[in-house]
Amino acid sequence: MKNQWTNYYTGYVKVKAFGRGTERLINSLTRRGLYVWDVKRISTEALVFYMEISDIPKLRQIVRKSDCKVTFLHGKGVPFLWKRVLKNSGFLVGLFAFLFSIFILSNMVWGIEVHNAKPETEHAIRKELERMGVKVGKLQFYLDDVDTIQRKLSDEIEELTWVGVELKGTTFHFQVVEKQQPKKVEATSPQHLVSKKKAIITEMFVEKGKSIVKVNDYVGKGQLLVSGIIGTEEKPEIVPAKGVIKGQTWYKANVEVPLETKFSVYNGDEKTKHYLKFWNVSIPIWGFIKPDYSDYEEEVTIRPLYFLQWKLPVSYKEKTWRSKEEIKRVYTKKEAVAEGKKMARSNLEKRVEEDAEIIGEKILHQSIENGKVKLSIHYQVIEDIATGQSIIQGD
Amino acid sequence: MARKWGQQLKQLIVKKADLPEDVIMDLPRITMIGQLHIYIENHRGLLAFTDREVRLMLKHGQLLIKGSAFVIKTILPEEIMLEGQVEQVLFINE
Repeated sequence: MKNQWTNYYTGYVKVKAFGRGTERLINSLTRRGLYVWDVKRISTEALVFYMEISDIPKLRQIVRKSDCKVTFLHGKGVPFLWKRVLKNSGFLVGLFAFLFSIFILSNMVWGIEVHNAKPETEHAIRKELERMGVKVGKLQFYLDDVDTIQRKLSDEIEELTWVGVELKGTTFHFQVVEKQQPKKVEATSPQHLVSKKKAIITEMFVEKGKSIVKVNDYVGKGQLLVSGIIGTEEKPEIVPAKGVIKGQTWYKANVEVPLETKFSVYNGDEKTKHYLKFWNVSIPIWGFIKPDYSDYEEEVTIRPLYFLQWKLPVSYKEKTWRSKEEIKRVYTKKEAVAEGKKMARSNLEKRVEEDAEIIGEKILHQSIENGKVKLSIHYQVIEDIATGQSIIQGD
Repeated sequence: MARKWGQQLKQLIVKKADLPEDVIMDLPRITMIGQLHIYIENHRGLLAFTDREVRLMLKHGQLLIKGSAFVIKTILPEEIMLEGQVEQVLFINE
């Protein structure tokens, strides 16, 4: 007996046969090897039965020789179902279009919200975001990931101490912490001006108060520079002393510069493979060759896809191999010294205040030890040495 | 006369060699499950079919099945599976 379950997939029809000798028709059908089932008598002259679609040409031949006539009542099975689906394809297309548009819309940026920022900062952030392509209506797929946005923002906008970037669904939330710009302290309380460190005074500009020292005086740390007590001795007046006292100060720096340094640098060769990730299985869709770099760094980017608020189990994965090369840098002694000077100077610039000026440098000591150049440098710097010291009243 | 001789020979073989009769002698093998199903092998064609009566051709004679609500579940050149309420199975030998 034939397998009946395949009939559903190949398709079958319900046939009505009528006329004289319907039994003979059934006999000749079976003798020709047609498969017939569920034969039912519906009237004295008519039968209905089922048969496979593929047997219809044979049926026609046999019917022509018999006294019966047949009509097809209806078809069943996948071919007919498929036909109906095609006939109603509008619905199907509509359904897919709907799902597709929801999918696209779910992966767009729909909102950018900046919290805790002053209007200027917010404007700067929004402008910067626009430059980076983070705009309402953009596909998230093409944007940098959250960490990159965060890094770029904090690099580009100076007023930011920290910015938290969070992607909630289709909205970017930026949590901003601004730098506390130092408030101008109005020196209203009575004070003297004293020296911060030992120095030779080069320039004095006293706004208020009585200057105690003169240009070219040597002062020690904590020495009184400008007094807040003015007036005659009988009638002293206490004021907040104010002024800029510039003095020459001295710094000493020690640096070490190795003559030979090994670096690992990217040489520009890179290969990218693209994957579709289903759950934990990555299926490569583009780029199948594993690069044969001797030394490389691997970078993996995973871009999740969303449907409404749900993260789909399917995501896009990009794997990039960057070839690395080891480079040996060799300095001559002269170059090493120059490099050391540069390093020491930039270190010093970080240590002193912004308005300080380096006016001279002198190498005190220089030696080569274990392949390293050791430098000891002396700097002369002109900077503001005055700092306030409040006058304690009461007596 | 010759046909009769042949028949007797076959019967003899069946008896002596202990072979199934339906194979050697082209007899119908009928299987019934209660009154619900009747399965007939070795028939020679459908003669009449209504929902109350089915007449089948056999090699010798006919088989008449009476009952109600008959439906031929499957039909192959030598096999037929009938469903319905079977009441009588009659052999008609002319």
